[in-house]
Amino acid sequence: MINLGTYLGISFALFICGIFVMIARKNIIAILLGIELILNAAALNFAAYSKFVNGNLDGHIMSLFIIVIAAAEAAVGLGIVIRFFQLRESIHIDDAASLQN
Amino acid sequence: MFTNTLFLLSAAITLGGAFAVVYTQNLMHACIFLLASLFGVAGLYACIGADFLAAAQLVVYAGGVIILMLFAIMLTGGASNSINRYGLVKIAAMGNTKTFFAAGFTAIVTSLVLLKIIANVLKNQPNKVLAANEATVEKLGTLLATDHILAFEISSVLLLGALIGAAVISRPRKEKHD
Repeated sequence: MINLGTYLGISFALFICGIFVMIARKNIIAILLGIELILNAAALNFAAYSKFVNGNLDGHIMSLFIIVIAAAEAAVGLGIVIRFFQLRESIHIDDAASLQN
Repeated sequence: MFTNTLFLLSAAITLGGAFAVVYTQNLMHACIFLLASLFGVAGLYACIGADFLAAAQLVVYAGGVIILMLFAIMLTGGASNSINRYGLVKIAAMGNTKTFFAAGFTAIVTSLVLLKIIANVLKNQPNKVLAANEATVEKLGTLLATDHILAFEISSVLLLGALIGAAVISRPRKEKHD
């Protein structure tokens, strides 16, 4: 039961959920939640390939760097969201359209 | 036996959490469901012997990212009147029918492409004998300090930059920027 196929399937479902959340939501924080799901799917794929195909630990290193990058992205993204809320008092994605007109 | 139970439980939590993030209309609930999903991913890491990754996932996500997101939600959502002085709705919508149709279309197209790729991968799946799970912490430390030392240092600089950048961006300024 624990093989490469099931891990790829779980990662696939996580990725599709992330894509769906990222496009369907109009809330900036909800979009960040979708990005976290997508990054987790990628990290899970790296770990699974490291176990079932490669046999060494390079995939684990890549997963660690993905976790680091996700943490940095969340910190900067939420800083931008809070600053945007201070300026516009809204976190609707359609209100961040100053560059469009 | 124990590993199989843990795997089934973790997979159920992961997929259920992810689907609940898609389904729910409450942002706070979505954040909590995402936390459940990340716990499940940590269990999946533990099933394939990635003990350090499971611990890092729990510490960084449950202790850091989700708490940060909850703080951001609470700082940007709660107000008595829901219309601000620009006439915009403060508590943003979680999507409408149009965006859900667009997201469904995109998800279908993406899943077709990914299934095409995964089918090829699974067709010639390697039949190698799997090594038993053993502790990875010491080997990971050696690898990080020898082979991947450059990426390790670069990621430390990235974290420092992200820290300073987040502080600078979210700092309240004296002058108006409207």
